[in-house]
Amino acid sequence: MQAANRRKTIGLLMGMGVLMWLVVYAALTYFGGSGAGIVPIAVGISLISVWGSYYGSDKLVLTMTGAKLIQESDNPKLFDLIQEITIASGLPMPKVAVVIDDAPNAFATGRNPEHALIAFTTGILDVMDRDQLQGVIAHELAHVANRDTLVSAVAATTAGAIAIVSDILARMMFFGGRRDRDSQANPIALLISLVVLILAPLAAVMLKSAISRKRESLADATAVSFTRNPAGLRSALEVLAADSTVVQQRSTAVAHIWIESPLDAKSVSKMFSTHPPIQERIAVLKSMEQLGN
Amino acid sequence: MELIIGLAVVALIAVFFISQYNRLIRLNITVDEAWAQIEVQLKRRADLIPNLVETVKGYAKHEQSTFDAVVTARAKATTATTVADTAAADGMLTQALRGLLAVAEAYPDLKASANFMSLQEELATTENKVAFSRQFYNDNVRSLNTAVKTIPSSFFAGFAKVTEREFYEVEDPQDRNVPNVSFN
Repeated sequence: MQAANRRKTIGLLMGMGVLMWLVVYAALTYFGGSGAGIVPIAVGISLISVWGSYYGSDKLVLTMTGAKLIQESDNPKLFDLIQEITIASGLPMPKVAVVIDDAPNAFATGRNPEHALIAFTTGILDVMDRDQLQGVIAHELAHVANRDTLVSAVAATTAGAIAIVSDILARMMFFGGRRDRDSQANPIALLISLVVLILAPLAAVMLKSAISRKRESLADATAVSFTRNPAGLRSALEVLAADSTVVQQRSTAVAHIWIESPLDAKSVSKMFSTHPPIQERIAVLKSMEQLGN
Repeated sequence: MELIIGLAVVALIAVFFISQYNRLIRLNITVDEAWAQIEVQLKRRADLIPNLVETVKGYAKHEQSTFDAVVTARAKATTATTVADTAAADGMLTQALRGLLAVAEAYPDLKASANFMSLQEELATTENKVAFSRQFYNDNVRSLNTAVKTIPSSFFAGFAKVTEREFYEVEDPQDRNVPNVSFN
């Protein structure tokens, strides 16, 4: 399960690379040499913006979600549970934060395990029992162990660069059009490259979402390897599935980091959602439980 | 040209040797750290016991044999040094503590006391921490032993002075079943 999810992530990241290459190739076909200069600029802009949010992810997310850091004395039981999973996983103790929100949810972030932060809504701390909360903590620390902040930063950088390239090229088309009009370029190749440039940003967002979904499944599998107790996480997900409230702040920018997507899953098609359907995740965990008996 | 290729080959071989050696050393250190974590958690549990026994005694005076079992098991657990001895004493103490908590079930006043409830919560998380530190230790021993036995890292084991390590096996029929998760 874990190995398969990792392979798929690598495949998808490579897909991103191929898409980037396709965009460059299309730009060169369509615009000739003048299109080439745009690519390093786009990658640069995207890299700077994403790198900044990646490096300061723990602090940035605190401000974006309104989470407050807490100390061991504030909630010793929660800290005990987190310590249990850090022992099981060999990870350092993360910073812990609480979001005052009745909707049950949790997330993890941080550029590396030493700068990890995990946050819980007051709602999740109220409704979940020991085993369920342990499953949730294991899922969040699994994201930390799998370096998912880095994976999503890489995905976001490439998707951002592709969006910038096709945006700039669309403007060039509008203002100047093709420079080497007299060249003997194949009209079919030109048409294909135009289609690639238009569809690439859409494909990039879809790939980014697919990567996010794979990382969620991977985190579920890694969480079970920490706790050896799929039932805890399964019943936690059932609580989340049964609960209809969603976290108040619905910023799409941080949607992917929560354990349950805060965006209404029904309004977004499956291709663009950052999480696999929760029933699918429950079914996978149930099959793990049966294997254990 | 030949010189550059020759140097590159030598450099590649050196990198390979160093990475193999370092991997074994790193695995060995992780096992040491995992072992230290088990000892920390066992000590934590041993420190909880006198308080717990006193609390239960306050309500249930006639359960001397249960108290004796816990005290003996604790003494054994605190003096054990080798992996096998520690594991055996750990299993005995886990069993004895279970007996103590079963006795407590029969005394409603004790079960309702705030002191007992907080001790019980602390014991529960400590038992979990002991179990998870065992699991982490055994996972790392498995990686180390595999590295020591498989090619190519096995060639470097003698040089790095890294040998196979002992698993931490607790004899306890009630131990939580490890689910057999298939990774496909």
